[in-house]
Amino acid sequence: VTATRPLPMPGEDSAPYWEAAARHVLAVARCSRCRSYVVPPGQTCPRCRATDPGFVFEQVSGQGRVRSWIVMRQSFLPGFSAEVPFVLVDVELAEQAELRLIGRLLDGPDVRLRVGDRVTVAFEDVAPGVAVPAFVLGGDA
Amino acid sequence: MSPRSRAACRVAIVGYAHSAVQRHAGRPLGALAVDVAREAIADAALEPETIDGFVTAALFPTSGDHAVEDGVSIVSADWLAMHVGAAPRYAAGFQGIGQIPGSVSLAVNAIAAGAADYVVLHRALHNPAGGYHHNPMREARGSRQWTAPQGYFGPLPMIGLPYNEYLQRYGASREAMAAVVVEARKNGARIPWSYWYGRPLSTGEYLAAPMINDPVCRFDCDIPVDGVAAFVLTSAERARDLPHKPVYIAGYASSPPPAPRLPLHWPLDDIMDGGAETARRLWEHSGVGPSDVDLPQVYDGFSPFVWFWLEALGLCPVGEAHRFVLDGGIDCDDPAALPALSGGGALGNGRMHGIPQMLECYLQLSGRAGERQRRNATVGLACHSSPHYGGAVVYTAEPW
Repeated sequence: VTATRPLPMPGEDSAPYWEAAARHVLAVARCSRCRSYVVPPGQTCPRCRATDPGFVFEQVSGQGRVRSWIVMRQSFLPGFSAEVPFVLVDVELAEQAELRLIGRLLDGPDVRLRVGDRVTVAFEDVAPGVAVPAFVLGGDA
Repeated sequence: MSPRSRAACRVAIVGYAHSAVQRHAGRPLGALAVDVAREAIADAALEPETIDGFVTAALFPTSGDHAVEDGVSIVSADWLAMHVGAAPRYAAGFQGIGQIPGSVSLAVNAIAAGAADYVVLHRALHNPAGGYHHNPMREARGSRQWTAPQGYFGPLPMIGLPYNEYLQRYGASREAMAAVVVEARKNGARIPWSYWYGRPLSTGEYLAAPMINDPVCRFDCDIPVDGVAAFVLTSAERARDLPHKPVYIAGYASSPPPAPRLPLHWPLDDIMDGGAETARRLWEHSGVGPSDVDLPQVYDGFSPFVWFWLEALGLCPVGEAHRFVLDGGIDCDDPAALPALSGGGALGNGRMHGIPQMLECYLQLSGRAGERQRRNATVGLACHSSPHYGGAVVYTAEPW
């Protein structure tokens, strides 16, 4: 079933992210000028405005805190009908203020959540050689 | 030099027309748009050949993979001008977000600059066959690779995250949101062209509706429709010679550039920080302040936008919109309240994308609201989209 979910198609600027994810490592783009983490990396660094940010994907702790969440009971995408209901969490990573990722929370749909709950990155293997970052409750951030 | 716009109150609305709002119109969107435009031109006591400007924003606001075809799923300014049989000097489409304020800005600037004298501003919305936002995407490319593989896609999750942030931060409840939707549907039920005409919603019905993406339920979302509206704008000087009482455009604002985020990721702080700048631009550009506005028409394509706009505009304190609405603060039948959804909005009319807000300002300030006519409405404000990723326009019954 999971094979029919949309699969990430890495571009030149994102290939290291997906290569790391396939190894179950969360690696976030970092500006080589100002050293700030950027999600998602674009043409310029949103912090120092460099047009040649030379983003390097560096492994991060995978620890973060929940800023918000939703429970998906319907999805407009293929491949999720067998997954609903599921929780999506908006997570601020420990490395930098406002460095936020959105991922599935793999603890099930009935979990009781509060803003500030600690989470740790986890990975869903969705196709051979393809893993998508997600989160599970708990961690030391 | 004053920061107020030199075009403030130099341009006015002098006529309008609006189609029925239907799930499916039963005839092509383009033909419907031509009929509505001709009706609006006649309403202003003008002829099609007099119209020398056409503006719109033709965005097809769906995340589904529906085809974008001019005259079928969208109607551009050029398409409309050609099929109406006009030969405009000026035709333009606003490409940003906050489509109605953006379109108004194009029309105002063109008229104030003399690029056109009589402008038709229209918006044509289409509900395609099949699921509105359903997308069979198998490969997530470009920016979508960061969110679609985990199932974060489309506008419902987009609004669900900041809505839940608000609920958690301020201890707000779905009962308080019921008051928003019930007010919108009460007012939409009074509007003959509305999809929801004669069909108000009760608090019990709202609270019993199944969740789609908690905390978002079906009634928090406007319903996709076929519908067209058109307005005729001209200079304040020319407006004096036309039959209807002009409604003046005091100023407009679009939002500042949004913060870089994942696609469709709108944290509550982004919405409120950007919204504060949108409001600042609007007050500066129009010369009007929040305490002057007696007909605020907030955007409600998703119900949480009502809270966000009330707070961003300073019409109630930040964090208190949920209580403000629950306590009757926007009840349009209470003369002491702010009638922020008196035109029914999108929740009470259907997905007309900013048109209900603009139309209510026009109808009330021109004295053409019929049985719904309010007394003493002098300054209207029509919002569109999100406070941080949209815009707003101030309208006045007299030059301000």
